[in-house]
Amino acid sequence: MDLILQQTVNAFALGGTYALLALGLAVVFSIMGLINFAHGELMTIAGYVLMYCGLAGFPFVLSVALAVSAAVAAAVLMERIAFRPVRNASGATMLVTSFAIAMILQVLFQNLISARSQAVVLPQFLSDSVQFGGLIIGVNKIAAIAATVIMLVFLDRFMKHQKTGIAMRASAEDFAVARLMGIRANTVIAGAFALSGLLAGVAAVLWVSQRASVDPLMGFTPVLKAFIAAILGGLGSLRGAVAGGFLLGFIEIYLAAFLPQELQEFRDPIGLCIVVAVLLFRPNGLIPSLALKAEKV
Amino acid sequence: MKALLLSSTLAAAFAAAPALSETLRVGVATAQTGALAYADVPVSGGMRLAADEINAKGGIGGDVKIELVEKDVRSDAAQTSIATQELADDGVSVIVLPCDSDPALAAIGVISSAQIPAISTCASSPTLPMIGGDYMFSNFPGDNVQATVSAKWAWDEGHRNAYIIYSPDTQYTTMPLYFAEVFEKLGGTIAGQATNTIGQQDFSAIATKVAALDPQPDVIMTSAYEPDFPSLLKALRAAGVTGQVIGSDGIDSPTTFSLGDVAEGVVFTTAGHATPGSPLEAFNSAYEAANGAPPETIFSAVGYDLIKVLEAAVLAADGSVEPSALRDAIAGLENVQGATSLITYKGTDGMPVRQVSLIRVADGERELVGQPSPDASLIPAPRMQ
Amino acid sequence: MSALLSVQSFHVHYGAVEAVRGIDFEIREGEIIALLGANGAGKSSTLNALVGLIPVAAGTVMFDGSDITHNAPETLAPAGLTLSPEGRRVFGTLSVAENLLMGAYGIRDKQAVAAAWDRVYTLFPILYERRDQFAGTLSGGQQQMLAVGRALMSNPRLLLLDEPSLGLAPKIVEQVFELITLLRDQGVTLAVVEQNVAMALEVADRGYLMSGGRIVAAGSAAELAQSDSLQSAYLGAG
Repeated sequence: MDLILQQTVNAFALGGTYALLALGLAVVFSIMGLINFAHGELMTIAGYVLMYCGLAGFPFVLSVALAVSAAVAAAVLMERIAFRPVRNASGATMLVTSFAIAMILQVLFQNLISARSQAVVLPQFLSDSVQFGGLIIGVNKIAAIAATVIMLVFLDRFMKHQKTGIAMRASAEDFAVARLMGIRANTVIAGAFALSGLLAGVAAVLWVSQRASVDPLMGFTPVLKAFIAAILGGLGSLRGAVAGGFLLGFIEIYLAAFLPQELQEFRDPIGLCIVVAVLLFRPNGLIPSLALKAEKV
Repeated sequence: MKALLLSSTLAAAFAAAPALSETLRVGVATAQTGALAYADVPVSGGMRLAADEINAKGGIGGDVKIELVEKDVRSDAAQTSIATQELADDGVSVIVLPCDSDPALAAIGVISSAQIPAISTCASSPTLPMIGGDYMFSNFPGDNVQATVSAKWAWDEGHRNAYIIYSPDTQYTTMPLYFAEVFEKLGGTIAGQATNTIGQQDFSAIATKVAALDPQPDVIMTSAYEPDFPSLLKALRAAGVTGQVIGSDGIDSPTTFSLGDVAEGVVFTTAGHATPGSPLEAFNSAYEAANGAPPETIFSAVGYDLIKVLEAAVLAADGSVEPSALRDAIAGLENVQGATSLITYKGTDGMPVRQVSLIRVADGERELVGQPSPDASLIPAPRMQ
Repeated sequence: MSALLSVQSFHVHYGAVEAVRGIDFEIREGEIIALLGANGAGKSSTLNALVGLIPVAAGTVMFDGSDITHNAPETLAPAGLTLSPEGRRVFGTLSVAENLLMGAYGIRDKQAVAAAWDRVYTLFPILYERRDQFAGTLSGGQQQMLAVGRALMSNPRLLLLDEPSLGLAPKIVEQVFELITLLRDQGVTLAVVEQNVAMALEVADRGYLMSGGRIVAAGSAAELAQSDSLQSAYLGAG
């Protein structure tokens, strides 16, 4: 029983990180129809800032703030420099653009920083753990769950109560009409990228706090997970992204925990089969985006 | 570009008569970008240093200059094969292949038919030269040898109960299977095993499983490397697992020494250790003098070793840079002094006999545990997957 | 009376297809204009291009003395020109109140926005009752009221209505046309694209008849109602 509970805590922590990642993709997709595969490189940028701040001996709280701000700034710049010129191009053009950005950044990191992993100095308490009854929970797990909850509450309030947030929801549903209302396309799209940068930055801190290093290709795995989670949840739907992230986290942890040893080698394919099975029953994802539904009907 | 084209055409024209050449042209088809760049980029640094040093003295034996003809294969197997073909057409005498077995294997067809010897920068799977045939050489202690050293050490420390965590994704990350084989041969028990995926972010599920074992394993062995190793180690310690953790050369990296308390006491095998007065110490200071910063990893010294091996081979071949003469010379080399170790190819199938160093993380610094010579009867046979 | 909106040699293309082939028309302050024609005549293309949703291939559009030919859509609502699009296109996942809030998005003048809330809720008490409900759950007629209400939130001087009666029950259609007259009486200039020719000409002052991307007839509502070209435009194109 304790074992199941312990693995459930693990699943929440991992699922929460996936949820933040998937949300980052979904926020941009819902408005522009773009899956930004360079989202992972935003995390890498935040990771490198964390690394340099550690080298400079900054307090961790300041390092985190700077790392997250760097991801936000990089996301906004990415939109301004790379995506704005192709905004009215086809989805495929934007997708290829995002791949190109990712690759260019990776090569820049390799040549300007190092091809090798760079160590990130983290405060000791992140490696500690806390005992709750029979449960031993790592501080970084608690941090991951807390950060996820805070981000989800913040995002929910922003989308419901801020005029800009409401405008983003309106734009996600019908961009043309939103513009007729005087909602500026540049503002909404830049806002979406800033939000995705914020989510990438927070996720990067959680991600790096587990691996304690940052390398030029670090962004690949998280963006892949985020993509799977976003599809699972329903592409373009924010609630779906959260649901998909948590479900993916649960699938991965429970398979690693309870699949018999002979089958462990096939854990990832089995996990993806479960994802496909879910999609067979819910082709538009767990919580489909209304905009997507409307298009299909 | 035109000049380059012309020179390569000329080179191809003269390739038929390489004995006329006064230069050892080394084709370097390694990964300067992509997933293997973490290993091949530092290797290149060490190779360039060695080549510059030798050329500054007039060349190998005072007259054979070394020219590195470098091509980036972007960590891609197909690109490696293409680049190797181009280098073979270009008439190089020897080809350097990426650190991982898979892209190195992709070049087998080319090097076998062109009959040019090839050395992988740092692939450590003992199966590579086996599959690769007569023209394929490695440049690193084999996985089975590293595992023998660490298993024997664990046994001698009184550990009897081990848990292994490996990944079937690459040859290298299956090193714990060799460890288990040796450890059981010595009389130890394998309490269990878990598999991970390379690049897996979260090890909490595995850590929770290990923490639930009764009795707790004395030793946890893995050949996971960055970024997986720090995640795994932190997850194990956070879950309350206190057993001895043993790793391999993949974690011989600054990250491991900056992890703080969680990494204290971790022991791993690697290709060398800079004891005072050792060739490795000399290499490190020469590297720092040339590059303004010390090497980030042992792989730079391993790159230096590679050029020293080629130097020795040219000397052994009486100054010939003819590929098949070089192949035979490499296969017969004995006790070549590299930066990390003495290196012997004679009597092997291409997997060199090299020293293995056992390192412990103590107070965030590297501490030499020993540089034992493994008992040949314990070393497991290469395991084909 | 001067023209609030004047359009000259106006062309709109969809790729190689010429949807609008050089039309001229004007709308004067305080008028109701009916833009008539069969499906595919180019009416909706004209409205969408006027507000910048699709590019203008050639020609000029003057609104209130300034050239807005190539203005981005988001600049037009603050300038006083708003389109209520065909098919209503309310934001279904937003509440009624949020939809209205979005209608006033580009308006800086807080007092004007407060007055707009009063005006819309007075015109449509049902929207006030349902203000917290998702717009997607409203009936078709209520959604049309919301679409018009949303457009009114920016206090437009010229309101373009694209097919406001489409898909509505006859009783509701009557209400919509009463509303159009009422808005004109409140000082709003309107241009209405309609399939319901009879109703449109009943409320309109003047009308333009389009066919094949061109204006084929123009005149007062009464003149158009008598004209033969009206019949042939609807039967001919198709």
